[in-house]
This record gives sequence, C-alpha cells and structure tokens, in this order.
Amino acid sequence: MLSISVPAFVSGVVSGQPMHIPDGYLGPWFAMAMWVVSLVILGLSISRFGRRLSQRMVPLVALFAAFSFVIMMFNVPLIGGTTGHAVGATIAAIVLGPEGATIAVAIALLVQALFFGDGGILAYGANVFLMAIVMPWAAWVVYRAIAGNASATSGRRLVAGAVAGWAGLSLAAGLAGVFFGMQPLLFHTADGTPLYAPFPLGVAVPAMLIPHMLVASVIEGLVTAGILAFVQRTNSGLLHAKDASTPQGAVNLRPLWIGLAALVVLSPIGLLAGGSAWGEWAADEIEGIVGYVPQGLASTQGWTAPLPDYGMSGLAPAFGYILSAGLGILLVVGIVWGIGKITARRTAQGKS
Amino acid sequence: MVGMRQNGSAPALFEVDNVHFSYDGRQPALDGVSLRITAGEKIAILGSNGSGKSTLLKLLDGLYFPTSGAVRYRGTPLSETVFNSDDFSFAFRRAVSLVFQDTDVQLFSPTVWEEVAFAPLQLDIPDDEVRARVAKALATLRIEHLAERTPHRLSGGEKRRVALASVLSLGPDVWLLDEPTTGLDPRSQSWLIDFILERSTVGETFITATHDLDIVSIIADRVYVFDETHKIVAEGTPAEILSNHALLLQCNLIHEHSHRHGELVHSHPHGHEGHAAHEHAA
Amino acid sequence: MARSVVERTLAGVTESLEQSLFAEEIAREPGALQSLDPRVKLIGFLALLLAVSFVHNLWVLVSLYCLTLILAWISRVPLDRFVKRVWLALPFFTGMVAIPVLFNFVTPGNPLLVLSNSPYIAITEQGARAAAFLILRVGTSVSLAVLLVLVTPWATLLRALNVLKVPTLFLLVLGMTYRYIYLLLRTSSDMFLARQSRVVGRMKAADQRRVVTNTMGNLLGKSYDMSQEVYFAMLSRGYRGRPRTLDQFQMKPRDWAWAAGLVTLAVVAVILGGR
Repeated sequence: MLSISVPAFVSGVVSGQPMHIPDGYLGPWFAMAMWVVSLVILGLSISRFGRRLSQRMVPLVALFAAFSFVIMMFNVPLIGGTTGHAVGATIAAIVLGPEGATIAVAIALLVQALFFGDGGILAYGANVFLMAIVMPWAAWVVYRAIAGNASATSGRRLVAGAVAGWAGLSLAAGLAGVFFGMQPLLFHTADGTPLYAPFPLGVAVPAMLIPHMLVASVIEGLVTAGILAFVQRTNSGLLHAKDASTPQGAVNLRPLWIGLAALVVLSPIGLLAGGSAWGEWAADEIEGIVGYVPQGLASTQGWTAPLPDYGMSGLAPAFGYILSAGLGILLVVGIVWGIGKITARRTAQGKS
Repeated sequence: MVGMRQNGSAPALFEVDNVHFSYDGRQPALDGVSLRITAGEKIAILGSNGSGKSTLLKLLDGLYFPTSGAVRYRGTPLSETVFNSDDFSFAFRRAVSLVFQDTDVQLFSPTVWEEVAFAPLQLDIPDDEVRARVAKALATLRIEHLAERTPHRLSGGEKRRVALASVLSLGPDVWLLDEPTTGLDPRSQSWLIDFILERSTVGETFITATHDLDIVSIIADRVYVFDETHKIVAEGTPAEILSNHALLLQCNLIHEHSHRHGELVHSHPHGHEGHAAHEHAA
Repeated sequence: MARSVVERTLAGVTESLEQSLFAEEIAREPGALQSLDPRVKLIGFLALLLAVSFVHNLWVLVSLYCLTLILAWISRVPLDRFVKRVWLALPFFTGMVAIPVLFNFVTPGNPLLVLSNSPYIAITEQGARAAAFLILRVGTSVSLAVLLVLVTPWATLLRALNVLKVPTLFLLVLGMTYRYIYLLLRTSSDMFLARQSRVVGRMKAADQRRVVTNTMGNLLGKSYDMSQEVYFAMLSRGYRGRPRTLDQFQMKPRDWAWAAGLVTLAVVAVILGGR
C-alpha cells in the first residue's frame, strides 16, 4: 500500500512549497488545541525575546519575517531537475535565536495564511507549532551542539547549519505525519469514514518523513549553509549580533537533547492514548485533546512529557504505527547525533 | 528673517562640541566636529557621500550618542540616560524630527494614513486631535487621495510627501532633513523647496544634509562643509561657500570638469523667496 | 528548454506582486461584501470556516461551497478567476493525496466498485466519501480565505484583527512585515534580474544554488540593516515600545444584519451537518 500513496505524497511534497497544512486536514478540536499550545509558546517567546531587545524587537522581527516569507518563494535547485523551497527557520534561529525565530516565522506564516491563502487559518496553530516552534528550536539545539565554540567564520559552523536545517525540517515533517496520522483515529464517522486527513499513522509518518529527509530538508540544510557561507564572507558581524541571538544565561545543551529525544519517543504514545475507543468518537475526541495538550505544553516546561495514565489498553492495535513513527523520528535524531559526534571528534583532533 | 539669524547672544538650539563618533570602534564617522545652531535658522550641511552628514543628523536627533564630546540641545547634553526620562523624551521628540534619506525606512506603516498618524499616536495626543492633525498634514501636502494607499506603490515624489507629512503631523519646531531631494523630479524638487521656505517663515528651524549644490543657496542661510576625512572644514553663507571653487573641489562636491555648478555659483542667492512664490503661482 | 531556477523564481515573485494588485482592484469594486465593516467580514468568515470544519455531511459541505460562490458573485469577483485560483493550486497536494484514499487498502469498507478480486482491489464507499470530505473541505476553506482577502483591502483587514484581541504589538509587527515583503520581493527580483543579464548559458545545479543562496545572504544582510534604520525612524517619531492604534470603524444596521446572517448560516450548517 505504501507503493501508491508514498509517491503521491512525495510528488506533493517535492513540487510544492514547504509543507503548510491547509484547512480540512485537521479536525477542528485538534486544530483548536494546537492554537492554544502555539499561542502559549508564542506568548512566552515574545516576552522573553522582548525583554532582551525591548523596543528594537518590532522592526527586527518584522524584517526577518519578511525575509523568511520572501526566501520561501525562491526555487532552490538540488540535483538534476529537482528544485524545492526553504523555510528559512534555521537561519532565523541562528541569527535571532530560537525565540526570535519563533516570532518571525509565526508572523511569516500568518501573512501567508491570511493574505495569500497559503496554509489554513484554523490550521495556523498546527503550522506554527511545526514550523515556527519545533523546527527553529530543534535546528538551534543541533546547531549549538555541533558548532560548539567554533569561531564565527569557521567551516564547522557551515556543517552545523546544514545539519541543523536538515534535522529541524525533518523533525517538523515527521511530526506533521504524526498529526495527519492521528486524524483518522480521532475523527471518523460510525462506519469508519475518515472525516479529515484519511491516512493511518503507518502511512502518514513515513510519507511525510522520507521525502522530506531526501529533498526538502536537504534543501533547507544547503540553503542554511549557503547563506552562512555568504554571511561569513561579507557580513560576519551578523553572526555575533549577541544581543539578538543569545538567550539569557548559559545554556547547557545536554538536558535539552535528552528531553527532546524523550519527547520524540513519548509523543506518538501520548497522542495515541486518546485513540482507544474506536466507536465512541465524541468522547474520544476530548480524550485525544486531553492526551495531547499536556505533552505539547511539556515542551515549554523542561521537556518532561508525562505518560498519560489512561487509555493504555488502546495501544495494542496501534503498536505498529507507534513503532514506525517513533523509529522514523529516532532515525533523524540518530543521524544528527552521529554527525555531531563525528564533527566534534574531527575538530578535537584538529586542535590537538 | 535676516535679523533673526546668527544672533551671537541668542541661546543655542544645538551645540555640538568636539564630537567624535565611530560605529563599533571602526573608522571614525565624525572626527572632532563642532557647530552651533540657533532656533529659526536654515542650515545646510554640505558634504559628499559618506562624509558624516547623516551620522551628524542622527546625533542631533538623539539616535546615536557621541563616543566623545557633547551634543547639547537647549543646554541639555543628549545621552541615553536623558532619553530614559519620559518627560525629556516626549518634549524632544515632539520638537525635533528627522526625515530619513531612504523613504522606505521612514515609511514603515501599512498605509499612508497610519504612517501620518504614527507620531501623534506615540506621543499620547488624544484620538480626535490625532485625526485632525492627520487630515491637516495630508491636506497641506495635497496627498489626501493617497490616505488609504500602501507606501510600496507610491512614486518617489509621493513617498517624499508622505515622509514629510508623517513628520508634519507631529508639528516639530526643528526639521532635520537627510538628502531630501534624492530621487525627486524637478517639479517635486521645487515644491519641496517651497515647503521648506514656507515653514521657515513661521520660525521653524531647518537643518538639511545634502550634496545637491543647486538647492543650497535657496534652503540655507548658513552652510557647514564636511570633507572626506569626516571633519567640518568650512562654515559660511551659501554665497561664500559656493564661490570657493577650491573648497568644493577638495571636498569632492564638484569635479574638475564641472561647469554646471560653476554657473550656479554665480546665480544670485538673494531674493529666492520671491522666486519660489512666483514658481508657486505659475 | 526548461527555464532556469532564477527565471522560475522571478516568475513566482512577479506573480505574487500581480496577485496582490488584482486583489486590491477587486477590493475597490462596489460589491456587497466590500462595503461591509471589516470586523463583520472577519467574524462572519471565521464562523463559516468553523462550520466547514465541523460539518459531517457532504451535502451541507457542498451547500457551503455554493454559498462562497454566491458571496463571490454578489461581490463582483470574477468567478472564473476565483474558481481557478482556488482549484488549480489544490490538486497538487490534496488531489494526489486523495487518490489512494479511495481504495480498500487505505480505507477499508463496503465495496463500491471492485476492480480486481485477486489481489482484492476495490473502491470503497468509505474511501470515496473520505476523499470527497477532504477535497471539499480544503477547497471550501481556501475559497473562504481567498474571498475574504479579495473583498477587503489588507490594511483594513489588519486593523480589523484588533477586534479579535490580537495584541497591538503583534499587529504592528504584522503590518510592518507585510509592508517590507514587497520591498524585499522587489529587491530580490532586481538582484536576480541583474544576475540573469550577466549569465548566459546553463549553469550546474551547484552554481545555481550558489547564486540563489548568495542572493538570500545578501537579502539577509539588507533586512538586518534595514531593521536598524527602521528602528531609528520609529524612535525619532516617539516610539517607546508602547504602540497605540486608532479604531476607525463604525457599525451600521446593515453590518449588524450581515453579521447575524453569516453567523446564523454557520450555525444552521453545523446543526444540519450532523452535530
């Protein structure tokens, strides 16, 4: 069954803009829950970033949002005739820091949704969560982990940027697959007709993850490295615009890494907990939200996603889905971890 | 008019005292600059691109602060600390306003109406008066028809009018104009000059940074000249400065084969108000 | 011969500039929706959007789509362009996605049309309805969003967001973003044009990519410098981090009637739609 639906997804993903979820793919309760989660995180980002930049924040974020919007329109060639588009969340995270990137990309997404009909209005919350929160934060963590204390013009920062872009978008795409895959579990009519995105997790996650890992994420990575290389040559002051890009206090990356991995593993389980009762979907919808919201909020609270203590019995039929979703996302994290380790060792050897 | 200017005993509006300024500790942008301006004067700051004129205007507007030396506004040295006081900041921003060279920087609002309303709104002027001020500013610059337009589709001349309206609605006493004739066609240039002359007759101060020698004699009573080492090398009346061929050459304001400017130097700097009024009527 | 990436990007940039021009023209037509208070449009369309999302009945969904067409028609929106703009953008993703949904291996259920018995391949009733739900919901939602923007000048729409209690600071950023998108679009199109006139012949993908990322890097630097200057321009006119805006709208009886009408339609749709 993968043989037909995956090419369909692939062609959609490869030829289209970076993935913006349109309205109609997500159930309304799900979409609204995502709105709540994203608004909370957006609010936190604004207050933290605003405290650092005070009045300068407005024009800085506005120009970066405009920049992110504009570069999403650029066709970037990969190999052969393949082209794609970058999201720009990675370079925004590197220059502005993750909170600043969250605000800038969220604004760019709002302009796209409201004024260009690109990405849904009800689905805006989910799009913000994926592309303005998960993506820049993941990219920033990866970038910091690999770049370490390398000088602003070092080649290691290019590798860090490329891997960060690739990982950030892949993670966001995998999570989008999880979102899609949850819909038929949560929302269907009595006879089993899916009401919104119709693919089960086992199809949706690999169908989102694999083509992104092969094309769109590669482009995001190459674009990030390309912009970084250009900025290093011409305008390296931008890379240590310290007031903008360094969050308050030193950041210890290890707990963030472990937390991220834990969140990734737990998220499909937490999501599925709500899907236990297949027949009574009215009750199960609410459970789905309850099972979902805490783990989304957890991302702002030290990355400790609690295991929901209900609905575990519903896991058995969906076990295969969880496994594939978890494995796919773990794969991304694993590759990043590996590259990070190798670069770190290489640099260490270079120094000694 | 003539009696008002350069009255040595009149209190200074701006006093710039041996100011050095550099961006990020790099090359100096201002290297020991001093000047004195009294209220109601029309001043031109002449210099080639990159000589430090724009930087000086930003220092006068309290956007940058000197690395060493002092910029005093009505006796108060400008610093980050004095702007932290709402009272001073309010009074200063209401009185002094900078019109940026790049209108795309100046016009950051979604529509012309909102652009013109921005300054009065920030300065806590009541709603009804904001509306009245916007209407008046739009009418003065004859751009009522542009009120709902977006800045990115205006012509160069229209953008310049909106930029002036966005400052006019504030009702400043002191105008700092940075290269105001950039990108203007001849007709737009002539209304800009009219605008400056009209406002200055009611006692408003105009400090214009420019490298456009054609307008200097009309929009200034007194001229400061920057050379390319970021220093002020001359001060005088437009007639004195414009007739000093060697000075203009040294400051890269004309080049060897420039005849056009040579001619203009001889055109009479006096009586220009009548000239402008005449043009206006035509 | 295939067009180069630079040419395609240029075409895309030009198209979006023109699209907004088209939208502004229609927003100035004297149609039914154009003259409404923007807050009414915002609330009314949001209600309809929610209805589209909540409905569990295909016929109600079809009716809601017809409603958007009627609204477009009474607002003098050229229907052919309206329908084309919505549906030509959709098949790429949704259309492709919807095809496999029809079959039993993705959506098991009662067979509607059996294509093969071994292996068993059939279009199922559930699959057909799932595909219809998806396409209709996406199509109607996008139609509503596009229509709202076509009949409302975007600056007005921005001001109307105030009613939804969007913080003023956020609106200030949003307005500024929209304004500078056009500047950056124009700047990038100039950069690409300059590049295009200098480059003759075909480039390798890696070289093309370098051209594109260099342009992006250039744009990034410009955006950053611009943000500094804009900050000064705001400061110079008294900005102290506490933005304030004016509410310029006034509700007329006609606006109240439309608001009530649109919200009622949305509620009726949800009730009829099986909730």
